[in-house]
Amino acid sequence: MAALIEIDRVSGTLRGADAGRAGLPLLAPEAWHGQADAGLRLPGDAEPEARFAEAPLIAIEFPAFHDGRGLSLAVLLRTRFGFTGELRAIGDVRPDLLHYLVRCGFDTFELAEGVSIDLADPRLVPHLQYYQASVRDPEPAFRRVARGRAA
Amino acid sequence: MLRCDPRNPGTPMYRYDSFDRQFIAERVRHYRAQTERYLAGELSEDEFRHLRLRNGLYVQRLAPMLRVAVPYGTLSSTQLRTLAHIARDYDRGYGHLSTRQNMQFNWPELAEVPDILEALAEVEMHAIQTSGNCIRNVTTDEFSGVAADETLDPRPYCEIIRQWSTSHPEFDWLPRKFKIAVTGAAEDRAAIDVHDIGLRVYRDAAGERLVDFIVGGGLGRTPVIGETIRTGLPMAHLLTYLEAVMRVYNRYGRRDNKYKARIKILVRALTAEGFRAKVDEEWALVRDSASVLTVAEIERVEGYFVPPAWPSVPDATATLAEQRLANPAFGRWVANNVMAHRQPGYAAVVLSTKVTGIPPGDVSDRQMQAVADWADRYGFGEIRISHQQNFVLPDVPQAALFELWQAACREGLGESNVGLLTNIICCPGGDYCSLANAKSIPVAEAIQQRFDDYDYLHDLGPIDLNISGCMNACGHHHVGTIGILGVDKKGEEFYQISIGGHAGHAGQTASIGAIIGPSVSRDEVPDVIGRILDTYVALRAPGETFLATCRRIGTEPFKERIYGRAD
Repeated sequence: MAALIEIDRVSGTLRGADAGRAGLPLLAPEAWHGQADAGLRLPGDAEPEARFAEAPLIAIEFPAFHDGRGLSLAVLLRTRFGFTGELRAIGDVRPDLLHYLVRCGFDTFELAEGVSIDLADPRLVPHLQYYQASVRDPEPAFRRVARGRAA
Repeated sequence: MLRCDPRNPGTPMYRYDSFDRQFIAERVRHYRAQTERYLAGELSEDEFRHLRLRNGLYVQRLAPMLRVAVPYGTLSSTQLRTLAHIARDYDRGYGHLSTRQNMQFNWPELAEVPDILEALAEVEMHAIQTSGNCIRNVTTDEFSGVAADETLDPRPYCEIIRQWSTSHPEFDWLPRKFKIAVTGAAEDRAAIDVHDIGLRVYRDAAGERLVDFIVGGGLGRTPVIGETIRTGLPMAHLLTYLEAVMRVYNRYGRRDNKYKARIKILVRALTAEGFRAKVDEEWALVRDSASVLTVAEIERVEGYFVPPAWPSVPDATATLAEQRLANPAFGRWVANNVMAHRQPGYAAVVLSTKVTGIPPGDVSDRQMQAVADWADRYGFGEIRISHQQNFVLPDVPQAALFELWQAACREGLGESNVGLLTNIICCPGGDYCSLANAKSIPVAEAIQQRFDDYDYLHDLGPIDLNISGCMNACGHHHVGTIGILGVDKKGEEFYQISIGGHAGHAGQTASIGAIIGPSVSRDEVPDVIGRILDTYVALRAPGETFLATCRRIGTEPFKERIYGRAD
């Protein structure tokens, strides 16, 4: 079983996730009809639908860690379809890319088979702040912080 | 005549604030840790490859290659001195000016790259997103801010895009690399028609800042002229509209075949109309987001690019005319390499790296040092890199031109060939690059050797000769008035030659060159070029440029004279 990690939505820190949650069954969109005890499993190129917002869990699959389609899908689910449930990244999920996933609105991460992570490693957090708006920080830096001015 | 503090506080360019400084320092620390984990075997080869690419590091044929970002081609003298120091201490004493206005180092040690990045960070530089399938360094007109034909200085918008695209959460793992170019002048010197996105920025009659979007142009395997999908968009929406374009590309761009993964293939598949509809649909849903630029933010960034208070200088036209008359070589340099400036008494100067025997774009640490010194002595501490792989000093008083020219000649940067056949754009090719099918540097040298008579070059007039060592087209061969492409034929290097391409500068429309016949061996290239030029000279109308002749008569007359008739 691959490690499941979650992010604390308030503090932004990563920690091991509750093992029970990992067991929720995942269904393809055509098999999911609003069940509260099953999550959805979407490929990165899926077209999001309004009814998905009711799912307790949506898992987006990354066929390769460098395939960014799942990032856009996550952003759409969060910002356009108002999905507030658990958004999980599955498939080829690597520790060094978690910061992208976090900013696109994922909150749990099932790491790729055989990949381990030291959650205490400060090196996993590359930056304290970013320039652009994201799902996590809806305001870009120019609205959020006082930037410098030309002398 | 030193007008600038060597630390150039008065140079009109973007300066890091504490936010930028912290971000870049964090990035260096993060990449250092990734390098250490890779060297310790804790990070897989494939994963590290993608991470190092996003920090500018390729592994090339002979050694790693580090591509340092020179945002929109703008450098301070302090930054150029740091690049000279890196060339000396971490490389073999030289660097290479790329066609994306960046500087490449061909011989760094992988383990030392974090140290180099740290040295760069100290002078507000980085190598972020200079490679990999992400948004690359934004390029622009090398005469931005000084060109007489400029309507709006594009650099503030380049900087806004640089910040927005840096480590973007959603758009750092695209189907393929992504190149954006911006122009703000009447003449397009940034080749915006052949970029993934080309932006034209300007003010309307009411003074409002606007932007036009051209999408889906590009060179590479499938050269395409971009399609205009939006005109007159208020600048406040620069980032929201970019976001809409990028989201459509990230979601629908092909990922099954790297040769069909650029945005131009998607635009073609959907048609420009279909692509525009998808973008507009997306934009309608993001146009009111927090990413809308505020007037305060636009003006904050514009504030860094306010022109220097050019001291008024005595009109030197008469002296300059005398100097040109007395010294024809200087006269030639002024005619070809010195460009009109918006401020009377000043000029913008191109320092050509295209010297026979030196790979186009290669510059030594000593030359970098010298150029930095001239920028302080004659200008305002600023240097540009052009996409034609030359240095530009943007503000030199006319009265200093003769002295600068003499110094440039001593340092091997005084060649007068800007706009002429021998100002060759050339990729590093098979000598360095692991992607190349053929060498390109020796071809450039053979052509420069053959055509070294300035009277003849002048008679030929404006010709852009561009050479790429493979279909990736880093040497922009498709938009050369003469383009040369290295191809592999059963393990042997051959060269395919095209004519009539153009990047869209000098008031011309952009066009893709047409191939004139079967590829030839390396030895034959200078002869074929000679026959092309002879054909032009024989068939041109009075005063007609090479490009105009090509457009008027097509390729047939060239084919006949070069390859002979079937009889």
